[in-house]
Amino acid sequence: MEGGIVSEAKTESKALQEFVRAAETIVNPEVKKWKDEGGKVVGYFCAAMPVEMITAAGFLPFRVRAAGSTGTELSDAYFGSINCSFPRHAFNMALKGHYDFLDGLVIFNSCDHIRRLYDHWIRRIKTPFVKIISLPRKDEPAQVEWFRSELAILRERMQEHFEVEIADDRLREAIALHNRSRRIQRGLYELRKSDKPPITGAEMLAVTVAGTAMPPELFNRLLGELQHYVSRRRGHSDYRARLMLIGGELDNPEYVKVIEDQGGLVVTDALCFGSRTLWKDVNENTDDPLTALAQYYVADRPSCARMYTKYEKRVDYIRNMIKDFNVDGVIFERLTFCETWGFEQYSLVNDFKKWNIPLLCVDREYTLSAVGQLRTRVQAFVETLKG
Amino acid sequence: MDAKKERSLSRMKEEIAQFEPVLESLRENPGEMGHLQSFAVEDLVGNHKRIIECVEQGKAFLASQYTNPVEILTAMDVPWYFTVQQQFSAGGTGGSPHTIEDLGEMDRLGIPSDCCTLLRLLLYYQVAGLLPIPTAYLALTEPCDAVSGMHAAFMNHPDWRDVPVFVPDPPYHDDVRAFDYYAGEIRRMIDFITRHTGKGLNMGRLKEVVEETNKGYALWLEYSDLRRAVPTPHSYAMPMSCFYLLNTAGAGEPRVTQYYKDIVANAELRIRENRPEVPNQRIRLLWYDIQPMFFSELVPWLEQEWGAVIAMDMVSYCPYELTDTSTEDSLFRGLAKRALLHGPMIHQAHGLVDNVVHDITRIVRDYEIDCVILPGHMGHKDMAASASIARETCRDLGVPSLYIGMDIADKRYTTVDEIKNRISQFFTAMGLGEDRR
Repeated sequence: MEGGIVSEAKTESKALQEFVRAAETIVNPEVKKWKDEGGKVVGYFCAAMPVEMITAAGFLPFRVRAAGSTGTELSDAYFGSINCSFPRHAFNMALKGHYDFLDGLVIFNSCDHIRRLYDHWIRRIKTPFVKIISLPRKDEPAQVEWFRSELAILRERMQEHFEVEIADDRLREAIALHNRSRRIQRGLYELRKSDKPPITGAEMLAVTVAGTAMPPELFNRLLGELQHYVSRRRGHSDYRARLMLIGGELDNPEYVKVIEDQGGLVVTDALCFGSRTLWKDVNENTDDPLTALAQYYVADRPSCARMYTKYEKRVDYIRNMIKDFNVDGVIFERLTFCETWGFEQYSLVNDFKKWNIPLLCVDREYTLSAVGQLRTRVQAFVETLKG
Repeated sequence: MDAKKERSLSRMKEEIAQFEPVLESLRENPGEMGHLQSFAVEDLVGNHKRIIECVEQGKAFLASQYTNPVEILTAMDVPWYFTVQQQFSAGGTGGSPHTIEDLGEMDRLGIPSDCCTLLRLLLYYQVAGLLPIPTAYLALTEPCDAVSGMHAAFMNHPDWRDVPVFVPDPPYHDDVRAFDYYAGEIRRMIDFITRHTGKGLNMGRLKEVVEETNKGYALWLEYSDLRRAVPTPHSYAMPMSCFYLLNTAGAGEPRVTQYYKDIVANAELRIRENRPEVPNQRIRLLWYDIQPMFFSELVPWLEQEWGAVIAMDMVSYCPYELTDTSTEDSLFRGLAKRALLHGPMIHQAHGLVDNVVHDITRIVRDYEIDCVILPGHMGHKDMAASASIARETCRDLGVPSLYIGMDIADKRYTTVDEIKNRISQFFTAMGLGEDRR
């Protein structure tokens, strides 16, 4: 398992190599090419963003990360020491101009840190179009209706600002396009159920992250190539435990690699950049694509801990994954100072104990740090799973 | 009554036993401020007794959270208690005798220690069986992540899992569309209460209750204006009444309105006679965050050592509007607006940072503020992320500001002595309150 998430890919799969490169950087060659050809890029922060709307406008949806960030020296003047390191790093990069390529940005009131990042962004960063969307915390019909109206307003504003039309038929095409991405990625997950999964957790995360940073048509084409490649690849059998990774924001495949280097193979996940974005499809057979999107993003897709009403569904989702992927142990990762996942952790620890599911909880910073400690904890955890 | 129910009432009974002698003594020797100081406590004791009766006699009652409109609960004649009341009532009386022991037990629950202590403490009360289990629960998902996250964990407790729960979903915006959506949530909340308690809503009664609470809010606004006076008429205890008005079990009762009339009258009298409750005021400060539970160890020190009065604070500065009761729609929209935008902490933490900028600007100008203290509660991640904008606002206004960083529920985080030192150094460095020496 040792040897880096790209070593094999460099020699065998161009697609995987491209995915890894896209995950490692902000402006990858595909984004650059898109911009060079006059394309517009609209950024977003949260997995609840209906990327189909951006695609339907003819733009490239780009999920904001802080890959490659080395510090928060500029953003520390804006955020406090008890704020999450993700917005601090992302805003630091924005202040340095790394996000100047964005033509627009859509932010949700996802959490206390991100909604304040919106306040700072509109004051300091000159992104031409910035909109905040109110995302419900429940998944009932009234909330779907509310979110639909939010999306309708977003459509109107985007049409006005960018002078484009986001017609229903364009939305339907975009839904079909992104559903195709989801289906192929689910196919890759399916292969990980075997005793010899042909793709590691780190590689898979690189794939899902890359999907948020390149044109969906290209992403689908590369996914097809990757699927072809991994279905013929000799699977991994040199692992000591099958792991599932759960939690919120995690976009760094290197973090997963550190875990896998300790002998545990990550065979599935419930992460914001992982399976939660792709486990279900948006309904394509509908008269009103905006309602279909609202229904999917508020109610149907596997939720994160922010959705108050869905703890039981979240846990069922994880337990089903544990069963289907034959998971030996679960690692829960949380960004320090995240209260949304902090209280969820409390519930999970109690419930997993009751269900005899081995669970390791790890706090982390956005950038890869305290690697020694992580290694030691994962090693010890994997040791306990061996018996 | 079984042991579990008995234990769930134990803290309420302790508080009654703790407060009743104090109330008795205030009744015997009320002085000028006795009634004003004891009124909210009397109300709390009365409500505790009501809940105890419900538990003992198996009657329906609710648990709720502040900002779920008390007018509706009152009009529906459903008894309720606020689950966060224990922490606050303990703080209001100088600290519960259990605080240290409770915090220790809370730490052992295993919730990450960077999560809000106030809400971790609430989970501890639940786990320890110290909260009466209601017929149904009205939860809350605003103004911060911790409230929402805590409630998801709260409703996962084995003893509470089967308690029916309704949580209104607050939109992030502050326009008519958002008010109407939230009004819809309030209507759905009423249906929920009816379904689980059998109690219906009489619109005539609701109108009556809201008209009465409107009088309270009008008087509250008047009182807030009176605090602009230099010297300010009262110490800090009075501003907290705002929080009380939002939470009172006596909503809609003329005795509550009378209480506000008395506060206003006393403030007017003190201004007229130039007889402030705190003599020799030299510093007028704005405390811009929630008050710590151990505030009784800080406020007298501020007033006596530095002549520093809290002319206004974040919790008290809530620009309540009166609710238009002319039609059912206007009434619900008004209650929605009140719950969504105006509640203490909700107003400042729920929406855009513009509210913070607006409030600090208005308060500094209107209340002749000399300095702003940003206590920085460790649970308020949004405030931590907006502190730079708050400081910038202060700079633009030409008033110095101090960010401390504390835990309002746990004085081990930043001790009272450390807080006092920080404030003293700040006052000294800024040349504030100098004529004391």
